[in-house]
Amino acid sequence: MQSGLAVKAARVAIVVALFAIWEILSRTGIVNPRLLPSASDTLSTLGELLQRASVRKDLAVTATEVVTAFALAVPVGALIGFLIAENRYFAEVAKPLLFFAFSIPKSIFLPMFILVFGVGFSQKVGFGFFSTIFIVIMSTTTAVESVKVEHLTVARSYGATPVQTAFRVYLPSMLPVLLEALRISMIFNLTGVILAEMYASRDGIGHQIATWGENFQMKQLLAGVVMIAAIAIAFNELVRWVETRCSHWRT
Amino acid sequence: MQPLANITPLKPAGAIEVRNVGQIFKTTTQDVVALEDVSLDVRPGRFVVLVGPSGCGKSTLLMMMAGLRQQTSGTITISGAPIPEPDPNRVGVVFQEASLFPWLTAEENVEFPLALRGVTKSDRRARAQDALKLVGLDGFGKRHPHELSGGMKQRVSIARGLVQDPPVLLMDEPFAALDEQTRMTMGDELLRIWAATGKTVVFVTHSLTEAVYLADEVIVMSPRPGRIVDHLQVSLPRPRTYEMLSGDAFGSLRDRIWRHIRKSA
Amino acid sequence: MSAATLRRLIVFGLIALWEILPRAGFIPELFLPSLSSTLAAGWNEAGEYGHALAVTLYEVAISMAFACGGGILLGAIVGSLPRPRILIMPMVSSLYAVPLVILYPVFTVWLGIGSESKIAFASIYGFLPTMLATAAGIQTIDPQLLLAARSMGATLSQRLVRVIIPAAIPTVLSGLRVGGALVIVGVVVSEMLISSAGIGYLISRYRTILDSPHVFAGVLLVLAMAIAFNAAIKWIERKAAIWQTGTRAGQDSAGEVAPAALQPAT
Repeated sequence: MQSGLAVKAARVAIVVALFAIWEILSRTGIVNPRLLPSASDTLSTLGELLQRASVRKDLAVTATEVVTAFALAVPVGALIGFLIAENRYFAEVAKPLLFFAFSIPKSIFLPMFILVFGVGFSQKVGFGFFSTIFIVIMSTTTAVESVKVEHLTVARSYGATPVQTAFRVYLPSMLPVLLEALRISMIFNLTGVILAEMYASRDGIGHQIATWGENFQMKQLLAGVVMIAAIAIAFNELVRWVETRCSHWRT
Repeated sequence: MQPLANITPLKPAGAIEVRNVGQIFKTTTQDVVALEDVSLDVRPGRFVVLVGPSGCGKSTLLMMMAGLRQQTSGTITISGAPIPEPDPNRVGVVFQEASLFPWLTAEENVEFPLALRGVTKSDRRARAQDALKLVGLDGFGKRHPHELSGGMKQRVSIARGLVQDPPVLLMDEPFAALDEQTRMTMGDELLRIWAATGKTVVFVTHSLTEAVYLADEVIVMSPRPGRIVDHLQVSLPRPRTYEMLSGDAFGSLRDRIWRHIRKSA
Repeated sequence: MSAATLRRLIVFGLIALWEILPRAGFIPELFLPSLSSTLAAGWNEAGEYGHALAVTLYEVAISMAFACGGGILLGAIVGSLPRPRILIMPMVSSLYAVPLVILYPVFTVWLGIGSESKIAFASIYGFLPTMLATAAGIQTIDPQLLLAARSMGATLSQRLVRVIIPAAIPTVLSGLRVGGALVIVGVVVSEMLISSAGIGYLISRYRTILDSPHVFAGVLLVLAMAIAFNAAIKWIERKAAIWQTGTRAGQDSAGEVAPAALQPAT
């Protein structure tokens, strides 16, 4: 337990050291402070930005797009994933196609979404959905396949009904894999939406970051980067924490 | 360190001497005594089996004889000299399974220890061929491990252990992953190879039948802390045969080992 | 009907629909130009696309060297030393959750809108998965193999060259596949965002003037690039298939990197 604490302390120390180096590089002028504002300036800018109504509105817009795309992609993807995993013939037909769709870069299709949907809310959601759905399908299929045949046989031999099998065998076996899928899907989704906002948009935090970059407003730009990174890492750690809590299922 | 060839051995090649050996594993919470005051003499050319329940330290003792691990106290000598690090000229080691390099062919696996020492290609190949022939795998040299059965893989491992012609062969549960039939066949094969080469063999196993069937001497160990609780001489005639398994002599030896193990469990 | 046949039919059907639907007017040409008009658009401007492809490939090649070289080197170091691994790996994989595309504006401010900013961004984009995969690959090497090598008197450098590197090759290759794919994406996306050359730039320029066939021609070109890269790595992987058994099966390196995490994010 003590070594666990030491590791955590060391990690905090690394992060603090990185911020300290950042601060020193900028303060001493080794790096031009106009190109790299100091860490303290960036953090105070971040605090100030969070007070601004326009930034809050941008965050709200982005959050709505992310949540909507996620709420659409996860159930649809999960359903398709289930169907594929449950039917061997269908799986054999669809899997290589999905693998292919999964492995090609999605970002280059972004212009098509603009041609079809314009640059509004639906385009962001559409592209977020498109970025996320394949990973959801793949992960669901993996999750279903991770259920052990032996466990199903045991359940069947003791006369479990399909509903009992679903809740007592499928769900507990799949939960860790599904949580992992949720985490990864969210990464894909967030990346998709923010990229779409940076590429062509009127609002959203991604758009704001791109604008700061174009106007050489380094303080705001770095503050925005720190903010998004913090949000993404926080979500990631939250899901990972839940994952480890039910990791004893995993064998 | 001085090259070993220049040291005049006090004991003949192949003798193993274990004196008051102890091993303590330090963990963050407590110290675990893995071995306590273990002493043992193995005469050259003998087939000695270490047997005992999990955690009795039999594999640890074997690893120390191989120079792969150092004891906390006491001394171990192989052919009269201590073994502070692995020395394939004095000791060959055969592991449980999957210790063949999957990206090398059978003969390349056997050549591996020679290649480490810069033996020329043609010399290596010739010696690997001899070793493979000895274990009955003539003609299988070009295959990769995944193209070989479990028994054949273990033959390759034995060939690899013997390729530098060390006087001592240490075997850590080499047949544990094999099925019963293959295991019996491999036991006979090992005895044949042993008789042909005259090596000192120290063999670790969980199987009482395997222990009695193969051994000249059986060392019974017990856990917490790991120590030797019995040392049996197996006086069954050689060659050993399948019929001996159901004989009284065999049965009483096996029972004696079993009583020790049941007591310590 | 066999699954493979049906699959081929589906693929051919999709390609046929791509031609028929826009031609018949079911889908506006702006949304989806027909396959033939896309190919024609690409063919007519072959010189322009060729030049853009050269720029993009140049950026991809340099970024690939940085991302893969650095990723493999650092991954090997971190993966083989337990202390840094426990310390750093979870941090690196948290970093993986950050949509790195937000860093691109920073690079344009620092390095301008030329190739340098693309190379910097794409290198970082491809670096993380390559490093994670290499570290995971080194970690999953069967300890029995190392023990056996040690028992035969292999020195540290002999163990590295003769055991660790060959055993890690399959995982490193899969890391390269993902890292390389991300490098391609990184270069094209950064060209799409702000630049003055390259395929991504062409796609964006034609998009602003609503010239769909030329946009699609560019998209097809990038797709072809990604597919060719994938195929090349798969070919190497097949050549090295014998290695696949060098790691303990089913080990997913203590949950630090799930296989899915190593797939290209957008």
